[in-house]
Amino acid sequence: MGGPGLSRIVAVAANTFRETVRERVLYNLLFFALLMTASSLLLGQLSIRQDEKIVKDLGLASVDIFGTVIALFIGVGLIGKEIERRSLHPLLARPLRRHEFLLGKFVGLGVTLLVNTLLMSLGLFATLLLRYRRADPALLKAVLAIYMSLLLVVAVTLFFSTLATSTLVATLFSLGVVVAGRYSEVIRNMRDVTNVPEWVVTGLYWALPNFHNFDIKTEVVHGDPVALAALGYMAAYLVIYAAILLLLAQIAFSRRDLQ
Amino acid sequence: MSDEAVIWLEGIAKSYPTGFLHRAKRQALEALSLDVRRGEIFGFLGPNGAGKTTTIKILMGLVFPDSGRGRVLGLDLQDPEWKARTGYLPEQPYFYDYLTPLEYLDYAGRLSGVETGRRRELAERLLESVALQDARHVPVRRFSKGMSQRLGLAQALINDPELVILDEPMSGLDPIGRRLVRDVILGLRKQGKTVFFSTHILPDAEALCDRVALLRQGRLVKSGSIEEILGADPGRVEVLVSGATGAVEGVVSSEQMGERTRHVVEQTQLVGILARLESRGARIVAVSPLRQSLEDYFVKEMGPQPHGPWADLG
Repeated sequence: MGGPGLSRIVAVAANTFRETVRERVLYNLLFFALLMTASSLLLGQLSIRQDEKIVKDLGLASVDIFGTVIALFIGVGLIGKEIERRSLHPLLARPLRRHEFLLGKFVGLGVTLLVNTLLMSLGLFATLLLRYRRADPALLKAVLAIYMSLLLVVAVTLFFSTLATSTLVATLFSLGVVVAGRYSEVIRNMRDVTNVPEWVVTGLYWALPNFHNFDIKTEVVHGDPVALAALGYMAAYLVIYAAILLLLAQIAFSRRDLQ
Repeated sequence: MSDEAVIWLEGIAKSYPTGFLHRAKRQALEALSLDVRRGEIFGFLGPNGAGKTTTIKILMGLVFPDSGRGRVLGLDLQDPEWKARTGYLPEQPYFYDYLTPLEYLDYAGRLSGVETGRRRELAERLLESVALQDARHVPVRRFSKGMSQRLGLAQALINDPELVILDEPMSGLDPIGRRLVRDVILGLRKQGKTVFFSTHILPDAEALCDRVALLRQGRLVKSGSIEEILGADPGRVEVLVSGATGAVEGVVSSEQMGERTRHVVEQTQLVGILARLESRGARIVAVSPLRQSLEDYFVKEMGPQPHGPWADLG
């Protein structure tokens, strides 16, 4: 992929960013995320000496949950809507390759999520600074981990939307995988409590994206150290898992008839 | 393959899976071969479901053929590089409703590798040529169907293409819109571009095309110039007169068309019949060699269809 290829990916990414920032649902979710962070101040007053932790806990949880919802629901429509509405046709009739389109979509939503995550984190830091006159920079490590998990959510949605014949099916599968991946520890423990063969449970545990790997909220909130190597491990996991998903998505998409 | 061929297809076949579990197959195209020459306006004609859109989608790489091969602008069909020199208008186009026409044209031009400075200039010029200059900052979601179609035409031309492929460009347009599309197509021919368009609106094809191909149920029925296909019947002449004439001796057939009457007569009888018509007070409006219309040819060639595929024949 040379210069023109890169420039086409950037064009698709820029348009995807423009598309997503013009989605009204993004602002609604962003508003609720900031509201949740601010409302943690009220909850914090109910407990003794734990109030700062509650604000951090709820703030990070809202960055995580609302970010995941945005990644999931905007991500699943990125390709699905284009196929259903056929807006993709005049684009693929240009020198644009299908894998360039896919990568552009991934990067575009990745940038939107970055801006979004930064805005939500800014809300959290502003709340902490206004209330306690301090904000722990270690929180940024948890925010970075959340952002990496959001990119993995986008890869999951792109994979299913290139495979599925309708956006609804893609949404259901993506939602199922993301929820199951967030509770992967539960799946691992299933072998002790169910009659499901161990190889099925182990296979499922390894096949599903492990979102639990990206969850360092509790450590950060309690002030436990998080090694940079842990973040490096997350990044490596993200790159490998997302690359496999995008490659499979490309294989499915490259031969798909767009009727 | 002729050196002049801008589009060359050979033995293209395509079937779609249908039915429960996709076990049955519907043959959309059967061994289609076609060539479109440089600088011509080529009409791709057939009723709905004949395989016109499938052929165009195979050309554009949106749908993959089961078999066959092709070349466009001298390059292999699978090589996307020829697309930088081609424009395409899909059937019933949909454009991002959150963009304005200027933003969309800029995006489309960027994907085709048009330089930044040139994109704006081309976009402004094209919007003017499709009468959308006043709507250039209006989001596409507020566009009527006709406006979307015209934007579709503009985006197909944003890279100043050598070859323009249009899928049903007149469909859904009012008479003014149809006229505009016709003018754009004729303008492209003047610039030496090649235009390949599909339509089921036969008078438009007859007025515009140098050559046509007729498709029916996925098979090529005939291709050639309009003259070759329609031909002229040298033995017969059409006489158009105004005023009622009643039955005239020697006339093969007569047809009342409002105030006028159209008589078909044998060439050998023409002089006598003209004199007879004038003696009855009829005014001769036109005398021309008898040529059937493309529509007549179609109905004759394709035959009546039980489900009326020509119901929308315009």
